[in-house]
Order: sequence, then C-alpha cells, then structure tokens
Amino acid sequence: MSAQRFPAQFADLAAWSDWALATEAERGSKRQASTLEEIDGFYAAMLARLDETLSFLDQYTLDELPEECVPLMLLTLSLAEVAPAVEQFRQAAVTDGFDTRRFRPARRGYSGPAAG
Amino acid sequence: MTAKANDAREGTGRKWYDDYPHLGRDPLPVEQYLSQEQFELEREHIFRKTWLSVGKVEQIPNAGDYFVQDIAMLHTSVIIMRGKDNAIRAFHNVCSHRGNKLLWEKQGSCQAITCRLHSWAYELDGALRFVPDEGSFFNLDRKKLGLTPLKLDVWEGFVFVNLDPAPAQTLAEYLGELGTSLHGYPFHGNSATSASWTAEVNANWKLIKDGFQEVYHVPFLHRKSIPDAFTSKENPFAHVLHMELLGDHARTSLFGNAALKPTPVAGAAFMRGSFAVRKDFSVDQLPPGVNPSRSTAWAFDLNIVFPALILAVSEGSYFTHQFWPVAVDRTIWTATQYFPRARTPGQRFSQEYGHVIFRDVVLEDGRILEETQSVIGSGAKATFMLHDEELLVRHSQEAIMRRTHGHGAPPSTPRNGQGGAA
Repeated sequence: MSAQRFPAQFADLAAWSDWALATEAERGSKRQASTLEEIDGFYAAMLARLDETLSFLDQYTLDELPEECVPLMLLTLSLAEVAPAVEQFRQAAVTDGFDTRRFRPARRGYSGPAAG
Repeated sequence: MTAKANDAREGTGRKWYDDYPHLGRDPLPVEQYLSQEQFELEREHIFRKTWLSVGKVEQIPNAGDYFVQDIAMLHTSVIIMRGKDNAIRAFHNVCSHRGNKLLWEKQGSCQAITCRLHSWAYELDGALRFVPDEGSFFNLDRKKLGLTPLKLDVWEGFVFVNLDPAPAQTLAEYLGELGTSLHGYPFHGNSATSASWTAEVNANWKLIKDGFQEVYHVPFLHRKSIPDAFTSKENPFAHVLHMELLGDHARTSLFGNAALKPTPVAGAAFMRGSFAVRKDFSVDQLPPGVNPSRSTAWAFDLNIVFPALILAVSEGSYFTHQFWPVAVDRTIWTATQYFPRARTPGQRFSQEYGHVIFRDVVLEDGRILEETQSVIGSGAKATFMLHDEELLVRHSQEAIMRRTHGHGAPPSTPRNGQGGAA
C-alpha cells in the first residue's frame, strides 16, 4: 500500500501508509501484529497532526470525501484502533482480555467511504 | 428524584435491598449455573415462552431483505423477512418438503425463498409458490404447505419473535413499563450506524448476563481501560444512581464522572461527535425511562430486557448485549453499538474510537466469563455472595428460578419506602 497518495501537506504521513486499512478487522490485525514500539511510533506521528488532519478532512462531508483523502481518513481510523493500546494497556492486546480473534466483527450497519 | 436523592442514600446507609426486600439477602446457589436439568427448564419455560429479541428493522429496509437467527437451543433457525407489502414476518427456516434449512446466509435479499434440495419455492410471505414435478406428489395441497410462521412483533425498531404459537402476552404487554417509558428516545435516528461483534463463549448464559448487569466490577476489572469513568472521589465504588425492577425486566443508571480527564485520542474523539458517555444533554428532553433519576451526573442506563437482552441507552448512542444459549456451558454473545449517521470525517473518526474503546472494554469482561466458568464446577464454592449493588443479578436469578420452578406469572415488584419510580 506504499503507493497510496496523500494530500501535499500530509505527504510526510505517507510513511505510515501501511496503516491505511479499509476495515476494522484489518486495522485490528495490524495492531495485534505490531510491537508496542511500532504502535507508539505511528500513534505519535498521527497524534501530532490529528487536529490539522481532521480539520483538513472536515472541509468535506463524508459522502463527498475525495478519493485522494481516503488513505488519510483511514489513518485516523487506525489511530482510533491503536489508541487504547498506547493510552490504556501499554501493549497491543487488551490486558487479560478475551481473545480478540474470537470476537469477530459481525456487521457494520452503514456504507460509504471509510465504512468498514 | 434528583442526584441529591442518591447522595442522601449514600449518607444514610439505605440499601437497594430496602426497596426490594422480597428478593432476600441470601447467597446465590452456584448449581443454577451448572445444572443440565436447569438449562432444559430454561429452554422450555423461558426461551420457548417469552419474546426474544432477534435484530433491528434497519437490517431489512427493502422488500425481500432478510436476516437469519439460528437458535441452537431450540433446534431451529428463524428467517426474518420483509415482504412485498412491507410487513415483517418470521418463519422457521425449514422447507415443507423434507425439512431442509432454506436460507444459509446470515443476511441477504431475494425475490423468493428457494430450497437448494429440490427447488421448492416460497413467496416472501411464506406461501408455497412452486413445486417441481408437482403432479408426481400425492394429494399435495400447496395452500397448506407454506413456511411455518412464528409470532413476531416490533418495539422501537427492535424485532422480537416468540416460539410459543399462543403467547401469554403481546410484546407491548410483555415489555410493560420498560417499553412505554422509553418511548420518545431516538432509537431510529441513533441507529444509522452500527458495529457488531460476536463470539461463542464457553460459559453459561446467565453468568454472561450477570457480568453485564452489575457495576461493582467496573473500577476493578476495567482498571486499565476506564478506571475513572464511573467513579469519583465521592463515589469510589461506582455506586449507581438508580435501580428499579420492572416486572422481570429492570433498569439501572450509571454514575458518570464529570471531572474525567480524557486521554489525548479520547479527547479528540469526544470533541467531534457521538460518544458512549456525554454530559451535554438536557435532562428535560429525555423520555421518563432515560436517566429516570434526572441526575446531572448520569452516564447511561442499563435496561435489562428479560431474558437475554441488555439495552444500554445514553444520550447520543446506545448499545446492546444479546445472549443465545447453546448448551449449559456455551453461549453466543453479540455486542452491538449504535450511533447516529456520521456526516463528517471527524464524526466518523469519533465513532470509530467509540467502537474501539467499547470493544476493548468488553473484551475485558469476556475473558472473566470463561475463567469463572472453568472453576465453578469444582464444588469449592456452593454459593455466590451478592453485594447490594448486585441487586439485578439477584433479581434476574429470582425471575429465572420462578419461571422454571414456579411457572407462575411475574409477581408485582412494589418498592418499599421512598425513592420510587414515579
């Protein structure tokens, strides 16, 4: 996914484009397969630009989000995915949690860009 | 009743037990969670006799849309179908010819229901439309060979079925005050987006239900994820704001810590949209069954819908836990979180954080269930001890044991003294 395009002022975030994943299942698997150091690096890079990123994306409604903004949008969803690992658990998995691989995303009741 | 009433309760040592002394104060027999005989009584006297929540109308917006709920405990599978007349119907997912399971997908859309085995085809209303080589059958009357219907009714967009061909109560009667007191909550508007997770858990269904109907565990089990969300210096043990029995259903209101300092991403999400816990509501605009104590320190309510649905309602979103017993020690657990439609990328981000933190918190709950189930059969402990804030566990068990052993109508649940539901 390294060829994904990012808006010019967020070109630096292209370094994290392997986190631009379309579904919760993919984002969750990426979190679980990453070390805490990798997660911390992604979290720090995204959090530093989060307000700027969301202000930029919020120029558009979700339905009208240009295609070139979708990978950036997906990075914010991956930030949401990893936030508890960084802010709560200090490890990828939920501490003493039920096996996330057994707690399967069953359905998402909406569609559109960045739906999964 | 205001927040001060709860403060007064804290000061006087008054207990929830004092409102409901008929439930007693005895420990709870562990055997109820382990007994195969008890499980079979629950099958016959509860799951075969009560209204069971199976899904939401939003899952099937158009004619021909359907979803399927397998009910292993009752040896069946149920089709929920929207017909060409826009009516929603429920059928056993069983062909009239030689009993094949008709629809195998969990959800979908079709023009007719066609059996894979010999292509018997049914209309969306269940009527048998077509039988290949019909003339070779003997006195086959298609009019008598439609799909077997189940009783179905809808409350606030929630679809319920009843396996009893002649239910003792309508759904409205069954839900009673719990149902009427939530009228006006924007279930439809708050349902536009949802995320759902499901797992088969090696635990008795009542153990799982109990885990989600008491708050005593929250500061301890969830010490890593949400340590301060439902506690404060004044309320260190997350005592609830409100506890109310509504027949075999019940409701409790969680205290929310207004001084909670969010983590960085939680704070960013909170600023941009819906969240499980919000404090910017106007209490006067809520239906009487939402934040019934009208506390300004309210987080959300847990509505315990007998037998196996928990409906948690907050101002901007709601979530459910649904339990389907499979065996005495196995249960399918589905958690679903609902939000209004996200209009902006910022709202979408906010909701995704809401989904993730919700999921991770309930993963903490999930682990405990199997760990507990794995040792309660040891015989080491004959009873569970119940805390006053675990009243709804006691109430749930009382209702289950009464229906499985007394088989009688629900008793009235008068509250003693003050602080009533009115």
